[in-house]
Amino acid sequence: MNYQPSDFLPILVQLVAALAFIVATMLATHWLGPKRHSVLKDDAFECGIESVGDARTPISVKYFLVAILFVLFDVEIIFMYPWAVNFMGWVKSTSDVAITMFLEMLVFMGLLLLGFIYVIKKGVLTWEK
Amino acid sequence: MNAIIALSLFGISNLFLGFLNNRKILLPATLVFILIALGLNFADWNHEYYWFNNMLKTNNLSVNFVTIILLSTFLVVAISRSFGDDDEHSHPAEYYAILLFSAVGAIMMVTFENLIMLFVGLEILSVSMYVLTGSDKRSLRSNEAALKYFLMGSFATGILLFGVALVYGATSSFDIHGIAQGVAKAKEQMGGAYGPLLYSGVILIMVGLLFKISAAPFHFWTPDVYDGAPSIFTAFMSTVVKTAGVAATYRILSISFPSVYGLWGNPLVYIVCATLIIGNITAVYQQSFKRMLAYSSISHAGYLLITVLAKRPETNSSLLFYSLAYAIATITAFAVLMVVSEAQAKNGKADESFEALNGLANNNPLLAFSLTISMLSLAGIPLTAGFFGKFFVFSDAFSNPSSLFKWILVIAILMSTVGIYYYFKPIIAAYMKKGEVAKIELSPLYKFILILTTTLTILLGLAPDLVKNIF
Amino acid sequence: MQQIPDVIREIPLNYYVWFSAALFCIGIIGVLTRRNAIIIFMSVELMLNSVNLLLVAFSSYKADPAGQIFVFFIMAVAAAEVAVGLAIIVMIYRNIQTIDVGLLNKLKW
Repeated sequence: MNYQPSDFLPILVQLVAALAFIVATMLATHWLGPKRHSVLKDDAFECGIESVGDARTPISVKYFLVAILFVLFDVEIIFMYPWAVNFMGWVKSTSDVAITMFLEMLVFMGLLLLGFIYVIKKGVLTWEK
Repeated sequence: MNAIIALSLFGISNLFLGFLNNRKILLPATLVFILIALGLNFADWNHEYYWFNNMLKTNNLSVNFVTIILLSTFLVVAISRSFGDDDEHSHPAEYYAILLFSAVGAIMMVTFENLIMLFVGLEILSVSMYVLTGSDKRSLRSNEAALKYFLMGSFATGILLFGVALVYGATSSFDIHGIAQGVAKAKEQMGGAYGPLLYSGVILIMVGLLFKISAAPFHFWTPDVYDGAPSIFTAFMSTVVKTAGVAATYRILSISFPSVYGLWGNPLVYIVCATLIIGNITAVYQQSFKRMLAYSSISHAGYLLITVLAKRPETNSSLLFYSLAYAIATITAFAVLMVVSEAQAKNGKADESFEALNGLANNNPLLAFSLTISMLSLAGIPLTAGFFGKFFVFSDAFSNPSSLFKWILVIAILMSTVGIYYYFKPIIAAYMKKGEVAKIELSPLYKFILILTTTLTILLGLAPDLVKNIF
Repeated sequence: MQQIPDVIREIPLNYYVWFSAALFCIGIIGVLTRRNAIIIFMSVELMLNSVNLLLVAFSSYKADPAGQIFVFFIMAVAAAEVAVGLAIIVMIYRNIQTIDVGLLNKLKW
């Protein structure tokens, strides 16, 4: 199939329509709605609890550590997708490639596990010291 | 190639050794680990063999490079002095483990057969170095160096990767021999011209790698990073990282792109000249010994690139000899710098200027002598290894028929005379200047390493054929 | 069901190349002009992602899975880089309470 630039015109129309809707509703609410200010109403709403301090305070670095560890171990999943997709093919094939591949994945997971044990022994995941 | 597997396992076991609460065993254990890896490496001698589904390939050239890398790692670990036994802020187990892991990355960079492995090896090496550069967490200089190195390094990786992607588009292969075939085919189809994909791809790959070996004009991060990082890791960076980077550049340019020499050769001529001139001239103006060594490492990258550019049959052995001579001399210099700067520390800050060396020879003859020999070797004075390193490189350039190399040679020789000036500064400070350096107590291992490297430098300077014939 | 490589191939290869090149250049400009370490870092990630896009496009046009495998490696390594990079930035923030690279001037030639 060959697309001409003119084929994308509906997308452009949609984009303009979407933007126009946003602008129109914002202007409409601005003009139509009555404006009544009061101390209680202008207060920052936080589940009925009085808000305290600034939201942008530094938080404990432990959150950062956990988040980073999650990213590191999470990303390793992408090496398992191609392996898992192809694994049934290897099992069905007559050669013993499936066993090799299974062992290779075991080694990979074993290395990840060693890393995880190291993290636990370092005490990164103990929340309270 | 079992060295890679062994080193990775040793690195992991080093991490777990750190839980033993006994820091004394870490240093000997790491040294033994490296020696075992070195032994495993020699098992590949005289076997051309593909490993891991054509991902890596070992031959004699790669075995030699791996030997230089592991030898440098060994020397650096040996002069590390357990990173200060009493300092609770240092993590020696992790440092040693990361050094071993980065040696794995360096080995992958000299044996890669597939660009995936080049990328993975480069990143293992670089990411380890980012961590080690910032390992002095409370020092602002170390922090700044780590951030600069990290931002510049990942920027360079991005450039390298874009080049890889473009070359993949032009040749449909990541295999370095497959790329060579693809390049030849593409050239045939285009009637001798290079397609835009290939053209920009080769240039970007080259730029990405030159960033890592800090050739001008991509060197701006080098002095800052080398200066800010803890000295022991600077020693590692300026030897192992540089050797691996040059080897990787040489490998990809000589195997994948020999048929498009004009494409990368012409820009490389200017890069080599710029590297030599900038590295040497700027080194003259430095007040800090460590910073001078950083600029000297830039200039040595220039000399190494001359022989990559000359593309002679002897390039292999010249490259190896030069890297070996440079690595040994640099590690000696850093070994002296580390103990002297700590002994001369002012307000708890190590003094790394030339003045710290004043009068070193009075109470510490061994340190002063090692320093002298290493400086002479870096300057390329006869009877040291560095002289023959430069000699082989220059004769490669001389035997290349292109008249361009005569000009490169002129610049290179002029710049080595400039080099003599600044390499003599520390020698003059150590022997002639008035000053007082208290007698520095050295551990037996430290003394042994200093004597070993100094002897090796002189030995290679007297009889270069000893190793030149092996290479 | 339509195969993903076929979907990718509905757009001409040239478009992918130019688009990736544009993304890559935006990344480079970001690295060179911004002063906030996190934004520089994001620009670098943008460069890596433009490479990923280009590799996937080439890979499906050439019907060669090697390109996609390379993308997996880039992603995994980029995650490791993020971990180290953010750690460095946190370390710097703890020491000087800012991540403006212009204020890092302890090392000058």
